[in-house]
Amino acid sequence: MDRPRPDLTTPGLLGLPLAWLVAFLLVPIGIVAAYSFNVLALGEVPHSFTLQGWSDFLHSSIYLSLFWKSVELSLIVSGIIVALAFPLAYYLALSGTKRKYILLLLLIAPFLTSYLLRVLAWKVILGNQGVINSFLFWTGIRSPDHPVSQLLYSRFAVMLVLGYIWLPFVALPIFVSLETLDRRLLEAASDLGASRLYAFRRITLPLAAPGLVAAFLFVFIPTLGEFVTPSLVGGASGYLYGNQIVDLFHTGFPDWETGSVLALFLLGVVAILTLVFSRFLQPRQVVAD
Amino acid sequence: MVDKQQEHVETRLSRAGLLKVTAAGGAGLLAARAGIAAAAPVHTAAESGQLQVLDWAGYENDGGQPMFAAYVKKYPKNKPKFTYMTNEADALAKIQAGLRPDIFRPYVGWTKFFATSGLVQPWTPSLIKNFKNLNPFMVKAGQYQGKQYGIPDDWGFDAILYRTDKVKPKSKSWGLLFDERYSGKIAWFDDIGMLTVAGLYLRFPNPWDQTDAQLKQSQKLLISKKHVARLLWSSEPDLWGAFGGGDIWIAYAWPNDWVQMKKKGLPVVYMHPREKPVAWVGMFMLLKGSSRPQLAHAYVDAWSSAKSGKWLEDTYGYGHANTKARPSSSDLLRALQLTNPKAVTLPNAYLDRDIPRRSVYAKYWEEVKAS
Repeated sequence: MDRPRPDLTTPGLLGLPLAWLVAFLLVPIGIVAAYSFNVLALGEVPHSFTLQGWSDFLHSSIYLSLFWKSVELSLIVSGIIVALAFPLAYYLALSGTKRKYILLLLLIAPFLTSYLLRVLAWKVILGNQGVINSFLFWTGIRSPDHPVSQLLYSRFAVMLVLGYIWLPFVALPIFVSLETLDRRLLEAASDLGASRLYAFRRITLPLAAPGLVAAFLFVFIPTLGEFVTPSLVGGASGYLYGNQIVDLFHTGFPDWETGSVLALFLLGVVAILTLVFSRFLQPRQVVAD
Repeated sequence: MVDKQQEHVETRLSRAGLLKVTAAGGAGLLAARAGIAAAAPVHTAAESGQLQVLDWAGYENDGGQPMFAAYVKKYPKNKPKFTYMTNEADALAKIQAGLRPDIFRPYVGWTKFFATSGLVQPWTPSLIKNFKNLNPFMVKAGQYQGKQYGIPDDWGFDAILYRTDKVKPKSKSWGLLFDERYSGKIAWFDDIGMLTVAGLYLRFPNPWDQTDAQLKQSQKLLISKKHVARLLWSSEPDLWGAFGGGDIWIAYAWPNDWVQMKKKGLPVVYMHPREKPVAWVGMFMLLKGSSRPQLAHAYVDAWSSAKSGKWLEDTYGYGHANTKARPSSSDLLRALQLTNPKAVTLPNAYLDRDIPRRSVYAKYWEEVKAS
């Protein structure tokens, strides 16, 4: 009688992605952690395990306040974009328009161009001699000697550009969650006398919640560590936590220990947030009163 | 540990010097350069492979023009291969992380740091025929303990650029960078040099080596005035875009920025503050253990020629260490005071120098930016 052959399908399929994750995610994180505890150090300098970098960070008002400044900015950007993207996705998913996929394609069309170009284009729009100010001069609302200067090189510029960049990312998961919504529930609610607002509040919104949470996380997590957009349009006041990490590794004088501490802290916060929010990502049921 | 490394280098250099003399066919060469110790181990055998150059973006492409064209013509099989550095700290991090360029280019303030780091070895100036034409003050700034660790090349000033139609300075001072009247119209340089500038403004005796109390004072000044700075620039095109577009009226700037803004037709002045501008000089450095020292010397020699100097001045608007190089632009000639070889030294300017506590300065500057 033949012995049953071991089923290698699952390990075979999972092996490569797991090896990839270990080699290019877990091992690098381990190396960064080693730098943060001074187990590894840049150059031939004496080094040994220490919590000094972490202690300095946790007692530093500068780094932590910068982190909270970045959290605040990311929360504002994420909240506003989700609020803006929801009606857009709602229209695309539930209006029944035959052109919804064309409109969706238009929405994500900017993704077909370079991230850098999309950011730099805003410098042309927001500058003192940019499109907006030129329009204001032309209409006589502002004189050329008094342009609106706060448009570029400011926190506002960072928020505006981040919002523009991430809007399609936010709209897509909301669109998917609304698109898969069982329309019969809305019909039933209507048949039972529920107003449209009531049906929206008790059916549409709860069922779209996983998409909303996913959308929020999609924009909150990357913008929290963002450094390209702030460095291009943020100026002196748009400096964020991500810029600090980059600078610690590459400018002034390399301080990989502190840079690694900041990077790991960010990673930890993001991991915790993902865990906390993951429970909201499960499909929800609508319970009748 | 550094001492041991240096001792090792010196041992190698003595032997290298001997090789060099043998190759040159006499002791005359050694005598000619008695003031500068013989340095890099120069192999008589042909060196192979591409010359590995870690340099600033832009310096990799001279479009077949003089910058390093003479080198490529002489060594077509060993064309330079470039990796980019965004600043000296970036270069240091890359080298310490394992990058092995033959040559890289930090600026003069880092000469001592790298010379004592054990990462670089001295040059053999006699192998660089254009060496004799290089500005002696800059050559001296490239030396450490009598050895030529840096070969000077591009240079310029850190001073203040402003628009005369918009700005009326109260005095010729670095204080213009902190002037509340122009809040939101000022650009600072994103570098620890801002702490040095603050130190100069506060009249500290040695802004490059401030005490903790002085550093705190400099930092306090910068943090309290950070709201007037709209931009912290780190690359010239960023500054040109902001200044040329009218977003910025006053900037910590280099001579070339003045030339570029004049070309745009803006009414601008390049002001040397009374506390003195700071002069910077690019220094080619030879990595310790380079397997292509001969090629490296040839490459630096090509860069050091007057022809290359003129092209650098005309194309990039920086000065060149070759005293015979003259730009086509009389504006640049004046801005750099190219007819005055002492322009980079006192009483005209402070030649940028070593910051012994660079890591401390960096931390203070990071805190200014994060504030």
